[in-house]
Order: sequence, then structure tokens, then C-alpha cells
Amino acid sequence: MNSFNRAIPTEHIHPAVELEARQLVAGHGDKVIIDGLDLNLPTGKITAIVGPNGCGKSTLLNSLARTLKPLGGSILLDGQDIHRLPGRDVARKLALLPQETSAPEGMSVEDLVRFGRQPHQSWLSQWSPDDQRAVKRAIKAADLTGMENRMLEELSGGQRQRAWIAMAVAQDTPSLLLDEPTSALDLGHQLEVFELIRHLSADHGKTIVMVVHDLLSACRFADHLVAMHDGRLITQGAPGQVLTPELVHQLYGVHCDILPDPVTGSPMLINMHRASKNPRQAPAKAPISGDNDE
Amino acid sequence: MDAARPLDQSQPLHRPPAGFWLWRSSGTSNGTSDGTRPGYSLLIPKRAVIINSLLILLLLIVVTLSLGSGSVSLSPAEVWQALWHQGPAINQLVVNELRLQRVLAGLTTGAAFALSGCLMQTLSRNRLATPGIIGIDNSATAFAVASVTGTGLSLAPSSMALAGAATACALAFGLTGASGRGGYRFIVAGIGIGAIAGAMTQFMLSRVAIDDANAAFPWTVGSLNARSPEATAALAACLPLALALSLRMTRALQLMQVSDAVSIGLGINLKQVRRNGLILSVLLTGLAVAVAGPVGLVALLGPEVARGLYRHKGVPLVASALCGALIMLAADLTGRLILAPLEIPVGIVTAVVGSPYLLWMLLNPSFKNTP
Repeated sequence: MNSFNRAIPTEHIHPAVELEARQLVAGHGDKVIIDGLDLNLPTGKITAIVGPNGCGKSTLLNSLARTLKPLGGSILLDGQDIHRLPGRDVARKLALLPQETSAPEGMSVEDLVRFGRQPHQSWLSQWSPDDQRAVKRAIKAADLTGMENRMLEELSGGQRQRAWIAMAVAQDTPSLLLDEPTSALDLGHQLEVFELIRHLSADHGKTIVMVVHDLLSACRFADHLVAMHDGRLITQGAPGQVLTPELVHQLYGVHCDILPDPVTGSPMLINMHRASKNPRQAPAKAPISGDNDE
Repeated sequence: MDAARPLDQSQPLHRPPAGFWLWRSSGTSNGTSDGTRPGYSLLIPKRAVIINSLLILLLLIVVTLSLGSGSVSLSPAEVWQALWHQGPAINQLVVNELRLQRVLAGLTTGAAFALSGCLMQTLSRNRLATPGIIGIDNSATAFAVASVTGTGLSLAPSSMALAGAATACALAFGLTGASGRGGYRFIVAGIGIGAIAGAMTQFMLSRVAIDDANAAFPWTVGSLNARSPEATAALAACLPLALALSLRMTRALQLMQVSDAVSIGLGINLKQVRRNGLILSVLLTGLAVAVAGPVGLVALLGPEVARGLYRHKGVPLVASALCGALIMLAADLTGRLILAPLEIPVGIVTAVVGSPYLLWMLLNPSFKNTP
């Protein structure tokens, strides 16, 4: 999939939007998961939110995407509280690809991508030339040209996920939030989706925020890493700078060494082994391959 | 279908998506700045137009049959003549005075029940969540019976039915925390409320004199025989309005079928859509029960047939209403003819036909909860 190299007219590069969390308290019901988090997301870049299971990364993303109402604090979009803005206005600036994506049967790629135009349409403008152009462009960006009339259930996992991303692209927003866009995809399909995301950032100038389960993919494809643990922000910055063995240990309780990838230069974790719960038995940087540590 | 409009050669041709007709006005978009919109553009789904036209045709046939059959049998031609106030006076009397009211009642209640069912199923994302199953019919009936059997309340049974429907829905919501989520809890609470309302109805009927119980009987099974002209008029007035308001929500309902998060992401105000949809659904059921009593299975069957015709694509609001009207009229006609001159109430006919279908649907291995 090396075909994401089509020139995109500059008019479709968006003015950046500022998205930030202020003293965010979020959780489900009485259970507070995030308690007082401040975060500014860099515009025009790819930010990956990483951390162990249950660290609150999806809670943070859902709060940013306003699918989860904060228990306290606020999410600001260009300085305004996202929950006080009309839904349509937010939807023209912020697109969301949730983790659970299941479409009803019998829906074609084009049907799905057309949904993305919802915030731009009205009763009397159900299919403007702009809508047509945006859908076409989104399908092209996701490299799905020629598959418009295929049913979603006929596609491969990677193609289907690209169709969902195309829906969010058709929304024509300056920023895009993705919740684990590659979960349940195999290696090849993961790369397919991540390359599309990079393309959207580089050529369309979108601000992208994604929750990524796999630390290595996050380092490889994101410009900015946000590391969370136990509902708190541990550190943030360029992956090459913030990813240290200490951070990996703090996040996942895993000992490892870090080397730059000889080809891409992004950090690689090697010699990983689980830190023992009992500090007395913790092996001090075992120089072996760790196969007896399972 | 395209309105003629000069196209700038530099612009790509403005075409509708597959399966739609595009209807647009000539606007001021071309040549001016980028992003200006044309006057308007409407997408008309081809399949829906074809299916709904066929349903309307079928409905006309059943209406004609319904107006023509009974103790005085009339040919379709005679029926149409009488409708336009021509032909023998006796025919005009039979059609316009005796049968038309009943057919109109059947049309409107069937459409209202089915539209109400389609709305509620879509909002709760559950095919079983129809007003009949979650107890709204039963509660409306209990209130109506209470007024018929004279519990000191002098309100008309029709308005009591509406009050009952609203009470049941409010109770179900109160018990499930008004979150709008948790479709199952809402359904279970509704079933409980419906059972209590049913028991109350039976209790009231067992306590009153036999004449009063007879007067209240049609309310308990659902019949087009006992309709009141005021209730039919109220329903006929509200139905087009409710249909128009539901159609306004079509796109939001379609998105909610996909997922809540996707809908929010696309700027849909879920709370508002849920609230309005539920109010419409309860109002329609209440008004329909006020006319015909609890014929709740139509609310399950109508949308089910409509979705089948649409091949489960989209939310078939209009087709549901048409199918509901069709089922109601066909059931009423069957009930009138099958044991003539005895008449089987329409509620019993739909139950006899609908219950096996419900069972088949539930036992079907490929059964899916979502509409």
C-alpha cells in the first residue's frame, strides 16, 4: 500500500484547532478513572496515547471526543467548552472513529462514507457538490477508489477499517480522534491503517489523536507520545525522547532495553522481561534472552 | 429527475449516490467562491419510492375490498362511485356512513401502531421493544377500562388511554433511571408494568356489573367496532404531523442504528432525538389505543415486514406505517368475514396470526436483537 502519494490541493489543509483538557475528571458513574488531568494536544501532529490496560487512555479519548461527559473540569475546543457548543459545530471540527465499529448489514462503502457528511448537510441540502467532492476525496485518500459499491462485510479487516476512517475523513474536520484504530487487525492490516493515518497527517494537515495499544507502533507512527498510568499523565513528548526503560517499567512493569531501529530510527524495545512482584527477586537487568521468565 | 442547470466544465458532474435520485434547484454556487451551496438538493431513495408506491396500491385494493364487503356486498366500481357520492343512495349510506369510519380507523390505528413500534425499536436498538410488549398498550387499556367501568372519573376513555400510555412510559423510565441506555432494563420494567396494568384491568372487570364489563370488553381485546369518532379524528389529525416529525429524524435514527459514539461524533444530539422519538412513539400508541384498544402486535409486525422489504437497509418509517395500516385492515376484514355474521375482534386476529410469527422470529437461529 504505497499509493498514498496523491497531491491534495492546499485548500483542503485546515486551519488548526486547539484541543485541550483542563483539570479533567472523568470516569463511569461513581468510578473516577481520571482525576484532574491537564493536556494540550499539539496541532497538526499525530499524538498517540499509550499506557497499560485500565490506565484511562480510552476514557481520556472519549472525553476529548465528548462521547463521555466529564465529571469535572472541561474539554476545550479552540478555547470553548466542548459540551456547550452545538453538536454540529463540534462535528465540523472534530471527527471520531470509536473503537467499536459495527455497521448494519448491507451497507456499502459509499453509504458509510456518506454518513461523514452529516454535519454539513441539512433538510434542504442533502447532497451538495461539496458533499460529493468530499466523499470522493475521502474514498481516494483511503485508497478505496473502485470499491465504493462493495458491501462492508465483504471487505478485509484492513479495508473495512480504512472505510471507517474514510467516513471520518469525509467529515472534513481539522482534527481526528481514533480509539485503537488497529485493534483486531493483523500486522499487514495494522501497517495499512497506520500508513493511512500518517498520510492524513502529512498531506491533509490533520491533527490526529489516537489511542494505541502497541507501544512500538505508537513510537513508530506518532510525532507525540502521551504516556498514562493509573489515570495520570506520566510524561509526554517526542517518542525518541520520552521513551526510556524507566518509563516502560513504570507503565507496564516490564524491564527492557531500548535501541533505535536501524532503518526508521524509531525506538525499539529489546530484551523484555516481566519485573517480579517481589522486589527481592527482581533480576537486575538479566543479560539473557529472557525465555525463562515467562 | 435532474433539474436542468448549466454545469461549469471545471466542476465534476453533480451525481447522486448509487440508489438515489437527486433533485436540486439551480443555485448560485458555480463560479462564485468555493463552498457556496446551491439552493437545495434532495436525495430520494429509489427503492423506498418503489416499495411505498406498491404498498399504497395494495392499500387501495384492501380499502376497496373492505368498503365493499359485509352484509351488503359491493363491487369495487360501486364502492368508488359511492365514495364520490354517486350511484344508489343505499350504497352511499353503506359506504360513507357505515363502513368508511371503520376503514379510516383501521388505516390510522394500523399506521400509528406500526410507526410507533418502528420508532421505539430503533431508539432502543431492540426488535422486541414495541409499545405493546413494554406494557404501554396494557396501561392505556387499564386506564380506559377504569373510565368505562365508572370509577368516578368522568373523563372520556380515549383521553384516559393516552394518560395511561404516558404513565406507563414515565414509570418504565423512572424505574430504569431515565438513562435511555440499558434497553433490556427498560423492556423488563415495561413488561412488569404491563403485567400489573393487565391484572388491574381484569380486577376492575371482575368487580363491575355484567353490562359495564361488556361495554369495556372491546377495550381489552382491541376492536375497530367500538371506536369513537372523536378519538379517530384526533388520531387522524396527529398522524401526519407525527409522521413528518419522525421523517425529520430519519438520518439521526439511521446513525443511531450504527452506534451511539458514531452518532455523537457526527454531531447528533442523542438525548434530544431519544426524547422526541419516545414522546412521538408513546403519543401515537396512546392515540391508537384510544381508537382501537390494544392491537399491539401490529407495532411488531408492521416494521418487521417493512424492514424485510427494505432488505434491512435504513429505517423504514413510511413503509412501516403503510404495512401497519395494511395489516390492520386485512386483519379486520378477515375477522369480519371468516365467521360472518359473527365478528372476531381485530385484536384477536392479529394475535392469532402475529404470535406464531413472533415465536418463529425468536426461535429462528439467525435472530438478531437489533432492528
